[in-house]
Amino acid sequence: MFVLLFLTTTAKSNTIYNLIKIPNLEIYELNTNNNLKYLYAKKPFTIGIQNNISCDNSDKKTYDEKFKIISKNLDRYSKKFLKKINLKYIVMCENLSISGINTAGIPDHVMKTLIVDLKFNKKYFERVLHHELFHIINDGHKDLFDEDEWIKLNNIDFKYAKCSTCTKKIGLDTYEKTNGFFTEYSKSIPSEDMAEVFSHLIKNKYINTNDIILNNKIKFIKDRLNKIDDTFVF
Amino acid sequence: MIKKIKATIFEKIIFVFLILLAIFALSFTIIIKNKCLFIKEINLQKINFEKPENIAILNVECGNVIIELYPELSPNAVKRFKKLIKSNTYNNVAFHRVIKNKLVQAGDIEFGKKNNLDYGKIGTGKSGLGTIKSEVDNEFDFKKGSVGLARSLKYDTEDSQFFIILEDEPLFEGEYTPIGKVIYGIEILYKIKYSHKSEYVLRPDFINTFKMLY
Repeated sequence: MFVLLFLTTTAKSNTIYNLIKIPNLEIYELNTNNNLKYLYAKKPFTIGIQNNISCDNSDKKTYDEKFKIISKNLDRYSKKFLKKINLKYIVMCENLSISGINTAGIPDHVMKTLIVDLKFNKKYFERVLHHELFHIINDGHKDLFDEDEWIKLNNIDFKYAKCSTCTKKIGLDTYEKTNGFFTEYSKSIPSEDMAEVFSHLIKNKYINTNDIILNNKIKFIKDRLNKIDDTFVF
Repeated sequence: MIKKIKATIFEKIIFVFLILLAIFALSFTIIIKNKCLFIKEINLQKINFEKPENIAILNVECGNVIIELYPELSPNAVKRFKKLIKSNTYNNVAFHRVIKNKLVQAGDIEFGKKNNLDYGKIGTGKSGLGTIKSEVDNEFDFKKGSVGLARSLKYDTEDSQFFIILEDEPLFEGEYTPIGKVIYGIEILYKIKYSHKSEYVLRPDFINTFKMLY
């Protein structure tokens, strides 16, 4: 089926560029239940201010394999929910980086696009998809996900880093003893902490404990998601 | 006494060849010049329209393009479109953006009028009626001949500009407000002037008239 798709998909690079301002993309799959449109890099591309975002094309085998994983994970979000959070296009490529720093994904709720690095951390690839999707939700609903309110959920003596890339706390392994945070990366900045809580909830990586801070964070995320879509189920 | 010279067979052949070449060149020039030569004329009297109140007739150099509008799909957009058509606002407006075999776009009534063409601003003009909200929630298959309202990068910025696609554009669903579909005369739109260098056309073709059937 995928071979056929590659052969029959017409070149739409210009149309895609006009819509989401990313060059060198082609259609991978359009017919999905939740209306997500999957695109792939046919050639490397650079975008952003001073072309600081870059990503390479991948090979057919990787596209086919990773598409199955990505679509399996994102199929859990309904068409209605995706419309509310403004996500429509999934761009698949590899070696995604911003200003030379490798990254798992780049969410852009304005252009309704999530760029996914297919070669990013195989172990946590699926969880990271939901993590990046949360950034789409958060970016479009900054009023709901109030960071000052979130910070108050932590112990008073805890301080986040100034930015997600200005810290060495980037571990994605889930703590056995959570102590308010799911992972080391949760300790970077509030929005990454929220994204880690969200992605753990989605992937059912949370075993209920007596971690009051984490329980409050979970309640915070669930309440806000419920305000966006009261039919959303974790 | 002038001696009569008889033409040889070879000279006669050359003469006939030159005559034929001249005829061929003349015919070829006429065909090339007349881009509408093979376009069939549509006889509106012979067509029975199911909803004649939603039929719009776009007249351009090569003939009539018949468009059926879909008010049940995009009520506000079609209302705006009909209003502009009925007030003859689209008459003499340029097809300012044309992508060969893909899309024609017109409807800039501020900077695209024949007598007031502004190449520096064409494509950015307003109707003076204000923008309207995008109507993109209904399912619509953007097949060849579909007509939609153009917008800026942001939703809810539709005004008077419209486009007609000359090939299927499945990615347009949910992006652009559909207002109708060409039901006759799509081939006429392939004759609209385009540029090989740019989507924007220098000395463009114009809409002659744009009318509702009723």
